[in-house]
Amino acid sequence: MSSVTSTSAAARAYWRSLDQLQQTPEFTEFLHREFPVAASEFPQGFSRRRWLQLMGASFALTGAAGCRWQSDTLASLPVRPANRVPGVPQTFATSWELGGYARPIVVTSYDGRPIKVEGNREHPDSLGATDALSQAMILHLYDPDRSTAILQQTEQPAVERSWDEFAAELEPVLAAVKASGGAGLRVLTETSSSPTRSRLQTRIASEFPQAKWVEHNAIPVRNAIAGAELAFGRALRPHLDLTAADIIVTFDDDFFGHHPAGVRLAREWADGRVPEAGPMKRLYAVESQFSLVGGVADHRLPMKSSDIPRFLDALEELVDKGLAGAPIEESHDDSYGLKFLATVAADLLAHRGKSVVSVGETQAPAVHARAYRLNSKLGNIGATLSFLPVPDPSPIAAELSTLVEELQAGKVELLLVLGGNPVYTAPAGIELAAAIRQAKWSVRLSNYVDETSLACQWHLPAAHPLECWGDGISESGRLTLQQPLIAPLFGGKSDIELLAWVLGDVDATSQSLVRQTATTLLPADRFDKEWRKLIHDGFWGKPAATLSPTLRADLNLPAATPAPTDLELVLTPSPSTYDGRFANNGWLQETPQPLSKLTWDNAALIAPATADELGLKTGSLAALHVAGQTVELPVYVLPGQAPGSIGVALGYGRTAAGHVGGLLSDGIAAVGVNVYGLRTGAETVLTKATLKGTGRQYPLSTTQDHHAIDTVGMTEIAGRIGELVREGSLGEYEAHPDFAQHKVHHPPLESLWKEPSSDGRAWGMSIDLSRCIGCNSCMVACQSENNVPVVGKEQIARGREMHWIRIDRYFKGDVNQPEIVTQPVACHHCENAPCEQVCPVAATVHSPEGLNDMAYNRCVGTRYCANNCPYKVRRFNFFDYNAKYEAANTELSRMLMNPEVTVRERGVMEKCTYCVQRIQNVKIGAKNEQRAVRDGEVVTACQQACPANAIVFGDLNDKSSRVAALHAGPRSYAMLAELNVQPRTKYLARIRNPHPWLATAAEVHGHEEAHG
Amino acid sequence: MNRFCFPGWIDRLLPWSAAIATALAVYVTGVVIVGAAPSTLDVGYKPEQPLPFSHALHAGKLKMDCRFCHNTVDRAAFAAVPTTATCGKCHSGADMSGVTATTSVHANSPKLLAVRESLATGNFIGWKKVHDLPDYAYFNHSAHVARGVSCVSCHGRIDQMDEVKQVKELSMAWCLECHRHPEPHLRPKELVTQLDWVAPESPEVLGAKLREALKIQPAENCSTCHR
Repeated sequence: MSSVTSTSAAARAYWRSLDQLQQTPEFTEFLHREFPVAASEFPQGFSRRRWLQLMGASFALTGAAGCRWQSDTLASLPVRPANRVPGVPQTFATSWELGGYARPIVVTSYDGRPIKVEGNREHPDSLGATDALSQAMILHLYDPDRSTAILQQTEQPAVERSWDEFAAELEPVLAAVKASGGAGLRVLTETSSSPTRSRLQTRIASEFPQAKWVEHNAIPVRNAIAGAELAFGRALRPHLDLTAADIIVTFDDDFFGHHPAGVRLAREWADGRVPEAGPMKRLYAVESQFSLVGGVADHRLPMKSSDIPRFLDALEELVDKGLAGAPIEESHDDSYGLKFLATVAADLLAHRGKSVVSVGETQAPAVHARAYRLNSKLGNIGATLSFLPVPDPSPIAAELSTLVEELQAGKVELLLVLGGNPVYTAPAGIELAAAIRQAKWSVRLSNYVDETSLACQWHLPAAHPLECWGDGISESGRLTLQQPLIAPLFGGKSDIELLAWVLGDVDATSQSLVRQTATTLLPADRFDKEWRKLIHDGFWGKPAATLSPTLRADLNLPAATPAPTDLELVLTPSPSTYDGRFANNGWLQETPQPLSKLTWDNAALIAPATADELGLKTGSLAALHVAGQTVELPVYVLPGQAPGSIGVALGYGRTAAGHVGGLLSDGIAAVGVNVYGLRTGAETVLTKATLKGTGRQYPLSTTQDHHAIDTVGMTEIAGRIGELVREGSLGEYEAHPDFAQHKVHHPPLESLWKEPSSDGRAWGMSIDLSRCIGCNSCMVACQSENNVPVVGKEQIARGREMHWIRIDRYFKGDVNQPEIVTQPVACHHCENAPCEQVCPVAATVHSPEGLNDMAYNRCVGTRYCANNCPYKVRRFNFFDYNAKYEAANTELSRMLMNPEVTVRERGVMEKCTYCVQRIQNVKIGAKNEQRAVRDGEVVTACQQACPANAIVFGDLNDKSSRVAALHAGPRSYAMLAELNVQPRTKYLARIRNPHPWLATAAEVHGHEEAHG
Repeated sequence: MNRFCFPGWIDRLLPWSAAIATALAVYVTGVVIVGAAPSTLDVGYKPEQPLPFSHALHAGKLKMDCRFCHNTVDRAAFAAVPTTATCGKCHSGADMSGVTATTSVHANSPKLLAVRESLATGNFIGWKKVHDLPDYAYFNHSAHVARGVSCVSCHGRIDQMDEVKQVKELSMAWCLECHRHPEPHLRPKELVTQLDWVAPESPEVLGAKLREALKIQPAENCSTCHR
């Protein structure tokens, strides 16, 4: 537990420095950012009816009519669409695109207003679950910072124009471009899988042969494909299938992160980690920075990203020896790296055809090619790793640097910038903003007036993915439809509509364009039927046929050269903001990053050893210098970071994101630091970096270390972690399947109170720690479902976050090579609930079905319940966080609220309700049909979002239910059961599958150690 | 310096002023309690509607079923307010070519102007909500209708009202009264919309039988209505 105490120590130091810094001007600024406008304005126009309005005695005396709450108007539709029942949510299968692949989702629409994103159960790339970004994307639809008008920015200040005025201005420009065969036409976009866009791109190539099409992605998406080109001689993209992989070895590859197949891979992985269900997979991770994959790995080797190519070389060499017949023997070297290498090689050789070696996008194509060769030698290609074709590059494709040269030379007549945010994400040395100003005509289509919009002459509002038609290809190669849930709120257009406009189809709608594409993809004889199926299911057809290519005969990969020994910098997509496009998303900014638990910032993640060497601590402000560029950013010491490697998330430091993520023009400081300027190209691993303390401190807001009261408390917590989160090795499980139930011994429990009986339904939850990957999807889903407010960085620093479910992350073992375990914690709905016993006003009481109900109107805010809650899951509204939704200027953001859940006032306590609104709706429906509630019919928001299927909810009194079976299983344990609170949520102990050569003493003697 | 002293007769007033202060406090408290009670505040609430629709005529005299217009009452939480298209089934005006359907009732009545306007423009008729529960109370019509609680139990004799007004308190205590003792309000569920129905036997006895048959166990815990 040394790492735990040491991180705790770091956290304590950080807290002290934070208190000292709370009054700094920066802090006041952070506070201001959270309540941009609403805080200083009294609600106008709309006002929610309030019970308190009734309580004013003076009103009561002035007559009955004057004191009724505001009267409501019933706006019934003149004609009700078919199948619409007012107040009953409908769901539609659709998708959105990220990183060049469609992400299938199902969106819940409440009276015509989309309010919640779920996974598409039928789509094999979703399996009913989503990642956190998909859950959060809906927030942008109702973002008050969204662009609402067409802006002509040649005038200062910018002038609002109509679409007709824009069309009139564009017409002569288009005519001129057309006359020259498109010589002056340039299109700058991100990579997309949309068949419609591809079709329009081909048309542009034929009608404007001189035009050029530039794709710029902030996050690299093509290294794996380029690697395949090296290895197989043709551009292909790898497609992992973990169902057949018993041994998985990853190199800097976070395929549970933002990977397009992340949701499917998480499910495949989790299904192979349940010891009752069959043989367990084993995962080895080699990475510079802790990722979700590294977090669940059985063995993880922290290694600088720039050293990974050499390590892979060594692994291939060892495997070659093994394949030649030499046995691989256990290494007794002192170096963990060498032991790890021998073990991995031996394990791979023992699982030929049932293993996979996977490399992440941070690594160069040659490293990918080497991994493909290794997989080929091991016979994995076609079994666990197959390939899918990628579209041929456009005949008019060009590079960003070429575009900049042409812009500077004044050769560009008309520049269209669709999507992305290239001015913000451009590497150092490319003065894109200045270059765009050299274009004769520049048009920007975007959801926000962002950094790129400000450089263009015209800004056009784009339609949100939930506002327009579109299509895409999901990771497995399925045609996936995007359909609108609502008409464009601000009359925005989609990128395909704008491209059609350039081609002369001024009146083409996104629907007609997508349908037209579909005519070429769906069978013509029964098109209408298949089209309807596509709209209903959200996808169509079988996956693309996978390929098992053979290596090029002349494949010759030079040995990797040793990397410089000085510091390296690894730039990763942010778990919260991706490449910066979600910077204005309060939900994501406030969701703690999975490993560091940082909110509202990026930081230079460094290993404790590196921190000692450089004399830096968490919260020190340091100057990061690489390739002639310097930025100042705070340091975060993360155990498990590779020594000598600095990890920094991209996607921060936006200056034109909005009132949440930073808006320079309104005096709102950026969230975090922009590090795009440190790159010179698309590379994400930079060597020869230096990091130097500035002597100043910067307040970082992290969660999890909140509930530390004092040193004694912190030590106590550290000592008990093994009891809170129970885990064991596979060997331990096989010897004693119920080992987890014996980690804590306590005398027989007797209650002071009369034990509640529960004869009817007894709701309960089971969370499988073996499955959980700690991806935060449940947190965002809960926030979206339950109208959980965003509180801002300053409040997080005070421990006032409002998340109803949190994910605790614990380190274990050596501080330099720690293991990680994640544990989602929400209200446990104790049968013997300590919170209920101390509430002076009976605001939290038990329901007969075992729910720990919270009656907000009764709550007077004593917070005794939160004090008495052993799980610390109760949240208090210190401010009227929702007041901002009542302000007149934020009518839009109110539309996001789930009408099935009460919006809480200031001064009341709130917490997880087990999604009581979903329980009630299912119960009422079942009762109306005079039948019992079926097992699995009630699905909580967190359960629905979980890619790993870690959460199961149901009726414990129904002995055939899944949750009852899991609760009765040997791995099941109740957290803090010794307090006799009798929680309804139980955990299933996490089982690791260590290789005997690498198993630590703790894994062999885990039980004894817990007794300490 | 002279100190001010109250004259002696003030002492005689003290008991009186104490008595008056107490009486005033009791009076004010009483007025507040009575004044803020739902029976004072809400019962009798009768907002003016955008057009003079008469339930007494449609549901009473013409004997139209409640569900002809409020057609989602038995399958959704919300008893849908009819679309204008429903009104237009009988009250459509002249069509594009100026022809009025022979079946159209009061096709040119100025009182129905709002209906014809809504049909023509697609804008909604803004009906004023009469029975308005607070946002934190989640009432479900279907759950009650499916168990045989009649409309009349909460809405009164709508079929006799020209203008709809609130006749019951719709307060939490009032809800709980029935949840604790539902028998008098239960009837065979096919009769829920017959507002003038009178139980052939004692409502208590019939209600007890129905409750037994349908296994009706009204919940009294917070999360039944508050989420």
